[in-house]
Amino acid sequence: MSNETTGAYLQVDNLVKYFGNDKAVDGISFGIPEGAFLTLLGPSGCGKTTTLMSIAGLHTIDGGRIKVGDTVFTSPKEGLFLPPEKRDIGMVFQSYAIWPHMTVAENVAYPLEIRKIEQPEIDDRVADVLKLVGLTAEADKLATNLSGGQQQRASLARAIVSKPRLLLFDEPLSNLDLKLREQMRVELKRIQNEVGITSIYVTHDQSEALVMSDEIIVMSKGKIEQRGGPVEIYSRPVNEYVSNFIGVANLLKGKVLEVNEPGQGLFELAQDGKQVQMPCQLSPGIAAGEDAVLSVRPENVHAVREKDGDTTLEGEVTFAIFLGSHVDCRVQWGDFEWKVIAHPRTRLKAGEKVYLKFDPEHTLAVQP
Amino acid sequence: MSMNADTMDPKVSINHLYKSYGEETAVKDFNLDIAPGEFVTLLGPSGCGKTTTLRCVAGLERPEAGEIRIGTETVVAPEKDIYLFPEHRNIGMVFQSYAVWPHMTVFDNVAYGLRVRRASGAEIKRRTMNALELVGLDQQADRFATKLSGGQRQRVALARAIVYEPEVILFDEPLSNLDAKLREQMRDEIVRLQKEVGITSIFVTHDQSEALVMSDRVVVMDKAVIQQIGDPQDIYANPVNSFVANFIGVTSLLEGKLLSRDGEVCDVEVPGANGHDGLRIQAIGGEGAQAGDKLFLSLRPEDITLHLDKPEGTGHGNVVQGNVIDTIYLGSFLEGRVRVGEHEIGIQIDHYENLTPGQPVYLSFQPEHGLCLTD
Amino acid sequence: MTTEALSPTRERSPLNNRLRAMLTQENIITLVVAIIVAGAVVVPLAVLFVSSFKVLDPLGWDTTWGFGNYVEMFTDRIIPKAFLNTLIISSGSTILATFLGVSLAWINARTNCPGRDYLEPYNLIPFFLSPFIGAIAWHNLGEPQTGLLNNWVRDIFGVDWALINIDNIYGVIWVTGIFFAPLVYLFVVGSLRRMDPSLEDSARTTGAGLIRTTMTITLPLVMPGILSGAIIVFVTSAGEFGVPFKLSAPYGWETLTTQIFSKAVGDDANHFLGAAMSMALGIITVLLIWIQQRYIAPRSFTTVTGKGFRPNVLDLGPWRWVAFGYNLMFIAVAVVLPIVCLIIVSLHPVWTGKIVWADITTINYVKTLFWWRPDAIAAATNGIVNSLILAFGGASIAMVMALVISYMIHRTKGFGVRMLDFLSVVPIGFPGIVLAMGVLVTYIQTPIYATLWILMLAYITRFFPYGQRNISSIMLAISEELDQSSRMAGASWFTTLWRITIPLLKPGLFAGWILLFIIFLRELSISIILFTTGTETLSVGVYYLTNFENEPLTAALSMAQTVLLLIAIYAFRRFAGREALTA
Ligand SMILES: Nc1ncnc2c1ncn2[C@@H]1O[C@H](COP(=O)(O)OP(=O)(O)OP(=O)(O)O)[C@@H](O)[C@H]1O
Ligand SMILES: Nc1ncnc2c1ncn2[C@@H]1O[C@H](COP(=O)(O)OP(=O)(O)OP(=O)(O)O)[C@@H](O)[C@H]1O
Ligand SMILES: [Mg+2]
Ligand SMILES: [Mg+2]
Repeated sequence: MSNETTGAYLQVDNLVKYFGNDKAVDGISFGIPEGAFLTLLGPSGCGKTTTLMSIAGLHTIDGGRIKVGDTVFTSPKEGLFLPPEKRDIGMVFQSYAIWPHMTVAENVAYPLEIRKIEQPEIDDRVADVLKLVGLTAEADKLATNLSGGQQQRASLARAIVSKPRLLLFDEPLSNLDLKLREQMRVELKRIQNEVGITSIYVTHDQSEALVMSDEIIVMSKGKIEQRGGPVEIYSRPVNEYVSNFIGVANLLKGKVLEVNEPGQGLFELAQDGKQVQMPCQLSPGIAAGEDAVLSVRPENVHAVREKDGDTTLEGEVTFAIFLGSHVDCRVQWGDFEWKVIAHPRTRLKAGEKVYLKFDPEHTLAVQP
Repeated sequence: MSMNADTMDPKVSINHLYKSYGEETAVKDFNLDIAPGEFVTLLGPSGCGKTTTLRCVAGLERPEAGEIRIGTETVVAPEKDIYLFPEHRNIGMVFQSYAVWPHMTVFDNVAYGLRVRRASGAEIKRRTMNALELVGLDQQADRFATKLSGGQRQRVALARAIVYEPEVILFDEPLSNLDAKLREQMRDEIVRLQKEVGITSIFVTHDQSEALVMSDRVVVMDKAVIQQIGDPQDIYANPVNSFVANFIGVTSLLEGKLLSRDGEVCDVEVPGANGHDGLRIQAIGGEGAQAGDKLFLSLRPEDITLHLDKPEGTGHGNVVQGNVIDTIYLGSFLEGRVRVGEHEIGIQIDHYENLTPGQPVYLSFQPEHGLCLTD
Repeated sequence: MTTEALSPTRERSPLNNRLRAMLTQENIITLVVAIIVAGAVVVPLAVLFVSSFKVLDPLGWDTTWGFGNYVEMFTDRIIPKAFLNTLIISSGSTILATFLGVSLAWINARTNCPGRDYLEPYNLIPFFLSPFIGAIAWHNLGEPQTGLLNNWVRDIFGVDWALINIDNIYGVIWVTGIFFAPLVYLFVVGSLRRMDPSLEDSARTTGAGLIRTTMTITLPLVMPGILSGAIIVFVTSAGEFGVPFKLSAPYGWETLTTQIFSKAVGDDANHFLGAAMSMALGIITVLLIWIQQRYIAPRSFTTVTGKGFRPNVLDLGPWRWVAFGYNLMFIAVAVVLPIVCLIIVSLHPVWTGKIVWADITTINYVKTLFWWRPDAIAAATNGIVNSLILAFGGASIAMVMALVISYMIHRTKGFGVRMLDFLSVVPIGFPGIVLAMGVLVTYIQTPIYATLWILMLAYITRFFPYGQRNISSIMLAISEELDQSSRMAGASWFTTLWRITIPLLKPGLFAGWILLFIIFLRELSISIILFTTGTETLSVGVYYLTNFENEPLTAALSMAQTVLLLIAIYAFRRFAGREALTA
């Protein structure tokens, strides 16, 4: 977990926020370099929105310090609190929050009017952003006459038109239906890239986070579990929680027998009287002889019908469901059911005996 | 499990069903026989008439024409002036909005159907608790339904619908109010339960993966009309038209022209434009098409192999050259788009290869993985 | 955009910074309003409470402290009976109004009764008209000798007895019942109409028939609405002054309100005894409202789903015409008959119970409306002007207050918000006549007594919660994120309020304003306690005419008030019908 304390554009130090007696955010710290796209990812109630609102200034915080560039946004210890309107932030909400009594163009022009910019310049800039988000034709429509996806574009346009220092997103896509959501996340990322504004994105949808982010912070219960790039988070989770939250994983308790080279070792699984050993990657801080959790993604488990030198264990397919592009299988091994993904043309059937192969590159021992 | 509807008397039989609202036809000439214990899914885009069909079976809508039989009884047949009220049809139904009664406890919700049927007190208790156990809510029996989460509410609705052992159970998008993880969990649970109880089920959804996972047979509908009926593998592998191919799973559809046919294998020309060369592709399907006819070529991403260099030797089937448009990291795999001439082809990349936009690549696929569709 | 850095922190102490952070536009304005509201609501009630322990000595010169007033309430010849009558009237009206309201709501929301869309607005009209005027009209319809209905029956059937006698507590129950039925209707119709149809569909597919489904699913689900409506009707009837004053008090059935009135004005006025009686009435009603708010309202089931759907509509077959006839009857009895009767009576120089075509005259309208004419009756002509001033001014001030209070309750989390929320429920619990007693004893020795200001103060204090509810319901529906995005766009709190919040609330503000306008235009029970010569209101004018002049003059002014109200109702439907903007 890297908490850059210097050189970061946005710097959050030891943020604490209580609601009544509940600690919604429990001392988290992170920094973001200018222009980056950071995602806060975590289950419902883990404090993502609270963190975002603290940065936005929509509520006061109980401890810590938030700073952007040279400006301290808030720091209760020093009695500092910059009201939200002075922070120069653009924000996109889940509910779009497009003002229904204004047209799209009026919505987008609002931040510029507030900043007392000359009318001709406002017109130019509004036209530019509307073009960027693809709403030029809708400029004079009342916001309520737009579809969900269009409303969200308008909301984005409004957030970026004043070229703010920071862009905050709170689950902006979760009101859209699946197809639109997948389309919008690519779009959103493209626009953010184009305008280059430092962004923090909150979501509980892990696939959204993987697709869009430069970096991801996985949170739970007001704390940071792991920070890293999408590939790192997905393929090198540091603990059971992250492994389980991001994607699907086979998680089994076991023991690290030995550490061969740094970061690599031998893992022992014991299930229902059966014992197997397999080479694995070690996540940081795991030593030989310690209890750990084995984490393997279903797509990294290969089920074959013939036993060979690389197969480690033998099980029975309990069910195989056809999902179109792949087959989702369960393989019973002792008490444990392995989740395995197979190609549809292997035609695995329930009741078959299969052998499982593991790729040491993608077999991890993580902290419980 | 694939039931053969011919060998047994169907549990539910729908014949020539018509239903319209004013000018708008919601269901047109719907025919379907469902075998006992079968799990049939009605799948289609929004507004295609799935719910309407289901509600006609339930008796909540009255069709204009056609006949529906449940078991041996004709429950509605407008031509013969037969119409049974929903409460006389012995069905169970689960709704999208859960419809769990907020003024009753979980137990009372589930027991309702038994009380209506005047079961004895002891029997009500026994069967209700059984049903609750089946859905894993026996601990929550005395709670008010409003205190439950969405997933739990849907379980109550499920228990309520099966407790009196109806002849058929109807589901109207029961999972679409749940979030992704819960949806998958409930999906598996419903399948398990249905197999365990062995109850005939009709399930409505617009989510194709739900349909593929759960069903013995899938009925694909569009614009009030049945497009195809078949088991999931069959529908996925052999869609009858481009609507079905596109709606079920992900596919790239290329429009082309049939040049010639040699037994199973069709020779197809996909025309180029803007100075691009056309493609000559060998594929299968396209029954009934004559040389020169228009065709759609359907390619599934998982059937396409990606090569960074031109593949050598034979056995690769069709090989085309293209440029990477972009890739999306989805954790378990990368999804990519490749521009071939003026067409976009979706591919699936299993491992963590590094592709940059614009990079030239080669795609290959076997003729039997390219499917020609005539409409 | 300034990005003023607050960096040189050493120059200001943290405490100083913290104070500065607290003194925002937001906090200052809301604090001021909280103090005003607390003053307006709490002071009169506190003074009322204290005064109820002041006992007037027999000579009426001096007071001593004690429980004498409360003792007298039980030992007096009339007051205990008045208590009982109030109880009977409230119970009766509640039963009648609930029956009418629920059945009409069900017919309109859930059956294929013909012309449903057209009937609904008429079903609601009585809610906006004045029950006092209803009582006057029904007096002229159902008085044994001169009642129009009775005379028609006598003429047509040649009988010599009266069909009905409205001048007793059953008459009071009848008139309050039909005038308050729309209250229950409003509480029930929404949940009937918006109920997720699959709640009932699932009962049907589970095997329950139509009747069983209605009894075990539909009714229980709307029961909290029905109970809420019933409690509100009970409380409102208990505080109603005009109807018993017209129909029962003159014939020997006093109620608490008529008794409070006679203690507050007149020669043997005893404000302190009046205060004690007001306390008794106030405590009962506040208790009931508290039960409603605390236990019943939160139990209303949210049965509404997000997906658009239509409610299940029951095909009544030929019975739909019966339902239609029933609904028409209600409109006839509650709206058409009273208005027709008032018109007829108002066109006669004297009313003998029969239409005399030769005598038709407009003199009554001239005397009650044309203030420049020498024969004008000042109490009546003053009424129109004063009521319009009060309605325009009062509604406007009250809506501004309501806006700020709703904003505080729903958008700020600070200190004092819970108290405000509570304070804006309290006035609903206290009948107008009780609050008016409080205002009277508080301000009788200040310069605002005997001016329109005291009336305006009491009106606003008593009724601003209605305006506040109108705004709050919209404020709950529009997401807070709409405000927040304006702050994020760089707008200050006040700019946000002005450019975003208020425009979004416009439909609610209009609807609330017109609702208050209507209420103030017909207000009687506060005015009757607080008016003095020169500050009569419309309803006080009507009271004056019915007490000291004749029925035709009363009917004329009543008609004038009714026409004004009907115009306002029309405007209300225009604005409120356009529903809230949803975000
Ligand atoms: N205004 C508030 N008053 C009281 N508690 C609150 C408030 N806002 C949030 N909380 C609590 O703080 C915790 C964190 O909430 P937060 O909204 O930050 O979660 P989240 O991660 O955004 O979740 P979600 O994905 O559901 O939006 C939760 O336990 C929540 O109940
Ligand atoms: N009660 C109704 N009155 C009028 N039209 C209706 C009614 N119910 C359905 N329709 C129309 O009939 C058509 C089929 O509707 P249906 O509800 O069966 O679609 P669906 O396939 O279930 O769609 P969805 O996935 O959106 O639920 C639609 O065009 C719809 O607008
Ligand atoms: Mg949140
Ligand atoms: Mg549907």
